[in-house]
Amino acid sequence: MLTIENLVAGYGKVQVLHGISLEVPQGRLVTLIGSNGAGKTTTLRALSGMIEPQSGSIRLDGKDIAGLPAYEITRRGMAHSPEGRRVFPTLPVTDNLLLGAFTRFTGMRPRGDTSADLDRMFELFPRLRERRTQLAGTLSGGEQQMLAMARALMLNPEVLLLDEPSMGLAPKLVEEVFATVARLKERKITMLLVEQFAAAALEVADYGYVMENGRISIHGPAAQLRNDPAVRDAYLGVAH
Amino acid sequence: MNILAQLIISGVVVGMIYGVIAFGYQLTFATSKTLNFGQGEALMLGALVGLTTINFLIGQSLSSFAAYLLMLPVVLAFGLLQGAVVEFLGVRQAIRTKSEAGWIMATIALGIIFKNLAENIWGRDALRFPSPLPEAALTIGPMRIQPMEIAIVLGAIALMIAVEVFNRRSIYGKAVVATANDRDAAGLMGINTRLVITFSYALSSMAAAFAGVLVAPITLTGATMGAVLGLKAFAVAIIGGLSSGFGVVVGGLILGVSENLTGYYISTGYKDVPGLVLLLLVLTFKPSGLFGSAAIKKV
Repeated sequence: MLTIENLVAGYGKVQVLHGISLEVPQGRLVTLIGSNGAGKTTTLRALSGMIEPQSGSIRLDGKDIAGLPAYEITRRGMAHSPEGRRVFPTLPVTDNLLLGAFTRFTGMRPRGDTSADLDRMFELFPRLRERRTQLAGTLSGGEQQMLAMARALMLNPEVLLLDEPSMGLAPKLVEEVFATVARLKERKITMLLVEQFAAAALEVADYGYVMENGRISIHGPAAQLRNDPAVRDAYLGVAH
Repeated sequence: MNILAQLIISGVVVGMIYGVIAFGYQLTFATSKTLNFGQGEALMLGALVGLTTINFLIGQSLSSFAAYLLMLPVVLAFGLLQGAVVEFLGVRQAIRTKSEAGWIMATIALGIIFKNLAENIWGRDALRFPSPLPEAALTIGPMRIQPMEIAIVLGAIALMIAVEVFNRRSIYGKAVVATANDRDAAGLMGINTRLVITFSYALSSMAAAFAGVLVAPITLTGATMGAVLGLKAFAVAIIGGLSSGFGVVVGGLILGVSENLTGYYISTGYKDVPGLVLLLLVLTFKPSGLFGSAAIKKV
């Protein structure tokens, strides 16, 4: 579904990614783990067109999308729940969700049943239903995270990019976020999950990539990475 | 008392014109953090295109009222186009290269070019604009007010409500608000934010052109009519706050009324002073404007 080869990207003259290759097969949950500053967020930003890759190829469903503007990539079915949530603070929760389906309302993507999808989001995230008329800027951090994920899902995406959905959340909410990710996986949504909670991410994912200084250092089936001594020492702590 | 009420009413009329132009400043500032400093010239061009159109239609033996109504869509369409041209020539490159000051000079330059163009097409003299409504003033209680003045207030309110309803109700309007909130995140929704910015410039000039044909029947029309109006509306936008649609209306009313009162009770020579003093006070004590709010911070 999503194939990345030798992706090089960065900010201005600073190169952050030095040739990343990874693959997200249809219906699978792939996770990208690594320490702060390894380049996880930069990878997602390059995939969704928020920054322009310097070289390499990104193929979505076989078509190269590297270098296209973000709105074009979204129209081809890549949804990105970005770092920092980035909800629209002056708009109500419902409007944020409807904007997730902007391309469907405007005929750039198949329309489907947008109101049924809105209901489904409210079932998946009951807190959002309670808060649907509230301005997104007044939600708590956890609620904003749910909104960012639900907004991305409203695209009916081919691939969903999730950037640190657990960041800054209380432990109980972190559990809830991972439970939601597991539920999305059951629904066969193709996902690339970036996480700092490596243990939890490898618990839920099918396959994992470990990033170090802008390169992929280790990759393999999630179960295998969980037992890899190098991964355990560096990222999983002593809890296991 | 009669005089005071009369002065306030005329001040409100002028204030609504300032408000509509300032509303235009606010539209582009919201989406792109840039402004069209040729907004006054957009008003002037709208009024002159309106003048030529209405004279042509009256020449087809239409009544001035029917001609005015038929002229409106022409002027609004012209305003949209003119604003898009300004964005394309003067602003787009500056935004792309993240130039801090490029758009300022470019929009001022385009304003000067438009003024020269207008002088060459319509001449340097002030021209009379046919009034669509009877010019005899109505007497309401203690005040006398021209029908066109009522039309100005109603027209200005109608325009602002129309834009507000568009922003709240339609998915395209929501896309504009989303772009104003967070341009990158709007891009992730599949919104072409560059097009949204072009559109906001088009809408901004349309508002100015509309203000031009609203005010034209009670003033005179000419190549120089826009400069002062554009500048005062800019003061209004700063006083009211560039982030508040409600603020620019209140700012417009404050400036319009204070001008009239000062002009009558002190001296017409000082009529611009209170508004400009207020501008300085706002800049000193509340730089985001009387009604401007700092953006809601993310938790």
